Amino acid sequence: MTGEERSNSGRTAVGSGASEPADSHDRFPTAVRQLSDRSSTAVPPLPDPLAPCVHCGFCLPACPTYLATGDESDSPRGRIVLMRALALGELPPTDDALAEHLDACLGCRGCEPVCPSGVQYGRGLEIARARLAEVRGLTPLARIVLGVFRRAWLWRPAFTAARWLRGTGLFGVVAGEGRMGFAAGMVAATTRHCEARSDEAIGSPRHPIASSAAPWPPRNAGRPTVLLFRGCVMDTLFTHVHDATRRTLEINGYDVVEADGQVCCGALHDHAGDVAAAKALAERNVRALADRADYVVVDSAGCGALLKDYGHLLGTEAAAAFGAKVRDVSELLAAAGPVPPGPLDLDVVYDAPCHLQHAQGVHAEPLRVLSAIPGLRLRMLPGSDKCCGSAGIYSLLKPDMARAVLDMKIAEIAAALPRPAYVTTGNPGCLMQIGAGLRAAGVPIHVVHPVELLDWAYLNSE
Amino acid sequence: MQSLLPHLERITGPRWVRHRRAELATYAMDGLPTRESPPAAVVMPGTREEVIAIVRELHRAGVPWVARGAGTGLSGGAVADPAAVMITLTRLNRILSIDPARRRAVVEPGAVNARLSEAALPFGLAYAPDPSSQAACTLGGNVAENAGGPHCLKYGVTANHITELEVVLPDGSTARLGSRGGEAWGPDLVGLFVGSEGMFGIAVEITTRLVPLPRAVRTSLADFGSIRAASEAVSAIIASGIVPAALEMMDQVCVRAVEASIYAAGYPTDAAAVLLVELDGSEEAVVGDGAVVDNLLAQHGARSITSASSPAERARLWQGRKKAFGAMGRLAPDLAVQDAVVPRSALPAVLDAVGAIGRRHELVVSNVFHAGDGNLHPNISFDRRDAQLAARVHQASGEIMEACVAAGGSITGEHGVGSDKRDYMPLIFDAATLDAMCAVRRVFDPLERANPGKVLPIHACREWRAGGVA
Repeated sequence: MTGEERSNSGRTAVGSGASEPADSHDRFPTAVRQLSDRSSTAVPPLPDPLAPCVHCGFCLPACPTYLATGDESDSPRGRIVLMRALALGELPPTDDALAEHLDACLGCRGCEPVCPSGVQYGRGLEIARARLAEVRGLTPLARIVLGVFRRAWLWRPAFTAARWLRGTGLFGVVAGEGRMGFAAGMVAATTRHCEARSDEAIGSPRHPIASSAAPWPPRNAGRPTVLLFRGCVMDTLFTHVHDATRRTLEINGYDVVEADGQVCCGALHDHAGDVAAAKALAERNVRALADRADYVVVDSAGCGALLKDYGHLLGTEAAAAFGAKVRDVSELLAAAGPVPPGPLDLDVVYDAPCHLQHAQGVHAEPLRVLSAIPGLRLRMLPGSDKCCGSAGIYSLLKPDMARAVLDMKIAEIAAALPRPAYVTTGNPGCLMQIGAGLRAAGVPIHVVHPVELLDWAYLNSE
Repeated sequence: MQSLLPHLERITGPRWVRHRRAELATYAMDGLPTRESPPAAVVMPGTREEVIAIVRELHRAGVPWVARGAGTGLSGGAVADPAAVMITLTRLNRILSIDPARRRAVVEPGAVNARLSEAALPFGLAYAPDPSSQAACTLGGNVAENAGGPHCLKYGVTANHITELEVVLPDGSTARLGSRGGEAWGPDLVGLFVGSEGMFGIAVEITTRLVPLPRAVRTSLADFGSIRAASEAVSAIIASGIVPAALEMMDQVCVRAVEASIYAAGYPTDAAAVLLVELDGSEEAVVGDGAVVDNLLAQHGARSITSASSPAERARLWQGRKKAFGAMGRLAPDLAVQDAVVPRSALPAVLDAVGAIGRRHELVVSNVFHAGDGNLHPNISFDRRDAQLAARVHQASGEIMEACVAAGGSITGEHGVGSDKRDYMPLIFDAATLDAMCAVRRVFDPLERANPGKVLPIHACREWRAGGVA
């Protein structure tokens, strides 16, 4: 709904009665007058993304780390103070306390949609983290982890081995508390489930896929083409989600195509302040994926958020044009209807990934897709606007804070009545974090990607 | 001070004592960015017992301290001098019990205002005082400031909703004030403690009233071509004898800032002022009063009147109003939030005067306020890096206060005196009255170590100069 529609809906004029010109503020500075232009809800761009902060504190209850600690040094408002001090040189980048509290930010951007002044917290954090990384360098652990994700020849065998081990059921057995138990739980949480009456998808040969090398235009003229972004974790531990994405899109009238040469999206690097690595990965992806299809579809919210933002990251028109074609899978499915599926008799709670709701502004689409499934009793998880503590590699770098944040999420899930069979969320980090948390807490609820639910429902179609 | 830190760390564990420069910077302001001062240290107790131990330790060491909740106050009240320790109570955030039959709740001081109403909702109850910062602010802070809010017009302010307090006095002893039932014998010590702005001690357990949710609610938006017409409509509604649940006004500058934000509520941006009028009670009363109110609004020049047709629409109308102050960052990086009360009959004249003061100093002044009880919030947008501009803001703030006092008003309605309004106290109180206030304070805090330098002008109380008060 546009602002214009809002301001006119349901109003009845009851007299003219203006005794003074309405615009009596002509003497006020330009900033005020710019606001009179209701046609654009966008704020006039300010050079400093943090400048609009008036320190009101309305962001505090939206911040998972503040809720976990009650400490304003771990709140958006407190971190804005630190980022401003860093920018103004009042605190040096070598200040350990400053770095510690900025590092403790999940980067979930849950503070942005509640900010009345439209502070661009995420942009401010990007600048601050890049500055810290430049001066301080990354921590050894972050350097190792990000190094692995930069090189497919490292992460692919590692995750493939994890997938193979997952098949033995070992992770499910040792999953639980403790650092190792939790890590095992994260891998165990990637295990495929299926609630369809007949699970034809298991063991069936993979559908033949059109390759981007295939003749253009693609097979079914008139059907929009979508290129599947494969990613890293998604392409090894969550291949079943990719399969479900492909099948559900095909049913909904899209031609799914593939392209070689794609790499990790670079989101993990970008969030950690390693902008150079993020740019290098982004450039390779733009080269590999641009102009191959009508859309680039992503089933990982974290990757999708950065892919859409490549224009900002790389600052080129080609990257911006590429970003404009990127869609979360739920956006494409919702746009197509989706085609009515068969029933699923399940209680499910939806937990929105931060990088879908806050970073991409995609709220309604996953719910619209899931609501199309007859028999599915869908609820929003209370506190769905809050991060689960996964936040890319945050859960590895800040395990204690990540657990404190996760514990709030697990408590909400455990308290949900009637008890859901599944928690559904569209991001691999969240799936693994919440899945491991549920195992550690001994709560017998599984996690699943929304497209998997839709895929099962199609398997149940007559 | 360095010798004190290990003692505090022994009480709470080192994780909950903050003393590094960057950490202290994040506690240097409350919701009012014009008063900035980092504390010597921040200590975050996790239990009532830790609060008592901390206050005893500070008493023993002779160190002054300031209690803080979420830091959303608007008078510089929860800001500590560099020689004082800040005691942050956000970890004590439990709702201890809700008694639906007696309509009482018992909470810890760090419990967030809005969480209490959410917890009471399943019982058909609510906590009535609803400051605009209710999603973030704590009930302990509400008690300290005697917080108001839009619905206090009909339901009363925080003081009317607190029945019993357990407080830690500045020497570390504890006392129970009032009674759960609300019918205490002797002097009204709860009434004395509520609104004492952190100078009498720390409330570690708070018993509140809960009120039943109204059976019917009607929220209307009316827009006017002039501020004067809107203020006259307010006076007319109050004069009619109808007590709305809330009666709020926003001027054009404010409306445009809100409408540019994610809390856009559909307020007409070409209006000079809009009023939000909420009526609640029985279905018949709401319908009957609604017709009278609509008539009065129209008579006084309302260009249009819209009533929310659904709870969602009502919530949207209110969100716009409640987030208005936060939206002012769209105009300028800093905001001086003012707070004063004037007789409602004086509203049109005082608003004219405020507008004239703003124009004289060439400042952006916006108004968003509780019109029904004459509680003004003229807000001045500015950039504090411009020292000359900041001086004009200070000058204009003083003139606004003088105009309100001259009209028979007071220097604060609900934000408290804190450090921001302290120097205006002599505008409304003579020396003998200020002396009496100091004497009352010394009953609770003979050494004046709790929130020193706030509320009472320095010369009125014993001089406290440990680190130079801002």
